[in-house]
Amino acid sequence: MTEMHALKESKRETHEPEDFLRFTLGQRLEHWVLVFTFFALVVTGLPQKFHDAALSIWVIETLGGIDNARLFHRIFATVFVFESSFHLGAIVVSALQKRFTPSMIPAPRDFRDAFDWLRYSVGLTSQRPHFDRYDFKQIFEYWGIVFGAVIMIATGLILWFPTYATRFLPGEVVAAAKETHSGEALLAFLIIVIWHFYSVAFSPDVFPLDQSMINGKISRERMIEEHSREYARLTGIKGAPPHPSEQSTAGGSSEQPPNGPRGAPRQTDPR
Amino acid sequence: MTERNELTVIKLLPPLSRRLLPLAVCAAIAIALVFLRMAPAAESSPPPAPSTEDPNAPCLGCHGDSELAMTFPDGEALSLSLDEEAYRQSVHGDKLNCLDCHEQNRRYPHPLPEVSGRREYAQAEYELCKRCHFKNYTLTLDSVHFEAMSKGFAYAPLCTDCHTAHTMTEIRESRTQIAEACSKCHRSIYEEYASSIHGSALLEENPDVPVCTTCHGVHNIPSATTASFRLGSLDLCAGCHANKELMDKYGISSNVLKTYLDDFHGKTAGFYQKEPSEVWPETPVCADCHGVHDIKSVDDPESQVIKENLLATCRKCHPDASANFPSAWLSHYEPSLDKAPLVYLVKMYYRMLIPFMVGGLALYIMLDLWRLARNR
Repeated sequence: MTEMHALKESKRETHEPEDFLRFTLGQRLEHWVLVFTFFALVVTGLPQKFHDAALSIWVIETLGGIDNARLFHRIFATVFVFESSFHLGAIVVSALQKRFTPSMIPAPRDFRDAFDWLRYSVGLTSQRPHFDRYDFKQIFEYWGIVFGAVIMIATGLILWFPTYATRFLPGEVVAAAKETHSGEALLAFLIIVIWHFYSVAFSPDVFPLDQSMINGKISRERMIEEHSREYARLTGIKGAPPHPSEQSTAGGSSEQPPNGPRGAPRQTDPR
Repeated sequence: MTERNELTVIKLLPPLSRRLLPLAVCAAIAIALVFLRMAPAAESSPPPAPSTEDPNAPCLGCHGDSELAMTFPDGEALSLSLDEEAYRQSVHGDKLNCLDCHEQNRRYPHPLPEVSGRREYAQAEYELCKRCHFKNYTLTLDSVHFEAMSKGFAYAPLCTDCHTAHTMTEIRESRTQIAEACSKCHRSIYEEYASSIHGSALLEENPDVPVCTTCHGVHNIPSATTASFRLGSLDLCAGCHANKELMDKYGISSNVLKTYLDDFHGKTAGFYQKEPSEVWPETPVCADCHGVHDIKSVDDPESQVIKENLLATCRKCHPDASANFPSAWLSHYEPSLDKAPLVYLVKMYYRMLIPFMVGGLALYIMLDLWRLARNR
């Protein structure tokens, strides 16, 4: 991602649109494969959880019966397992090639960010926290998906092969796996539909749709606003000067080395 | 005996007159009805109908003889005697006279039925009942029994096979009699049933247990080997077993259908039930685990679902099931800290986490919108 456009002062002032590449084609494809399998699994799975609902009955009937629905669910589950393995494999390869950037690894800073974001949201401070490539919400969501995937795959396999699983595990584990699979599925579905959809579509910041997962681009304005630390790192220019808060807080801390990874300025605590 | 004389009178009439006699009677009644005020009986009392006398007396003159019998061309004998007392006790005893059913035997000597044996004779007479019992007759046309009959199975049951010809009682008043009626043909199933929890209770005059007809229906008995019967059997069992009041009487859970439908097997069956096409459901229904006619109490050591026998029952469908496998099924219990605590805890975890998470996310979105509103 170092092929980012160089920034020109003139353009900054005229607010001419200048885009940064946020997601590579491979990352976008991976995301949409995940979207497709996730919703295919939701459509074939949740009607089994809510088996009495009229909508569930309609869905199952449309899919050609419960046996078909289960077959499709297992096919998409297999795709999902391959997708997850691919993702893990890509990380391992990038680590071996020493290209791995720990942008998704949570750090204590993210917890401070979350706290600062809360204070900022409720108006206790006018200082907007500075985020790097991924903000704390995105990191939380990513790890939610990772842990969710591990839980879903493990319990799904137990449910798929119960006679095999009970050679090593007590029978009650199968029933517990069913409960977990069902609960975790609903939880993941609600988080995606409520939170992710809000963040990428319904939020006034991006409405009607954040295009970055489609064309891969993010505008310079949004980079400065939402990923100021990454912006600074990439351009060597301290991002977000428009923020009055930047001026209000100690200016010294804003003179960060552009490529300094984490450990960016911590806001002074107003308490 | 005057009845004898009347019979003779009929016999003495020339054959043509005898054949026209019923017609004449009808005509006379019709005429009588036209002249409204006139008593029809008085006008139309040619030889055979003295209302004050027992109209069955002429018949019983011969058929009261316990020795009276006939032999069919195939050599089979049929007793022609009627136990009048038994007949009088039957539901028809005070309603029907011999000739109401045996109309063709008004003539004497009686016309010989054109059949070779007893069964054929019964079949020839079979449709007599429908003159009064048309509704039940029509129902039988949808039954497996009629299907067997239409395929030429001579012993497919006729009305009289279950109800008897002359000693029929109000059959629903005696539930044991129902089982016994069926047992005449379905002997081995009756024996299985009699040893089951339901059958043995029936024999002890229990009024609550199902008899054959409770599950199989009465006149329109459907085939019990179709997909729709298999799926419908869930509701047959649930008819009693989901009835809390009835189950409480015996200390049995009335939650069995719900817990079944909430688990993997039951969900499958539930969806099959709602599908329009008729697919044979491979998923187990009540009878696959509990047995069909030989259902035992879950405390009975012979029960297929008692803990010791459950693995063998599971292996009917899951041949590679190991000893741990049966406890994957919670035995119709709702998970609780006593029964399946792990499942219960997982359930509670998500029951608390999901509203907490959704509430948190909703709060976040509201704060975010508030922030944006303030900053604009």
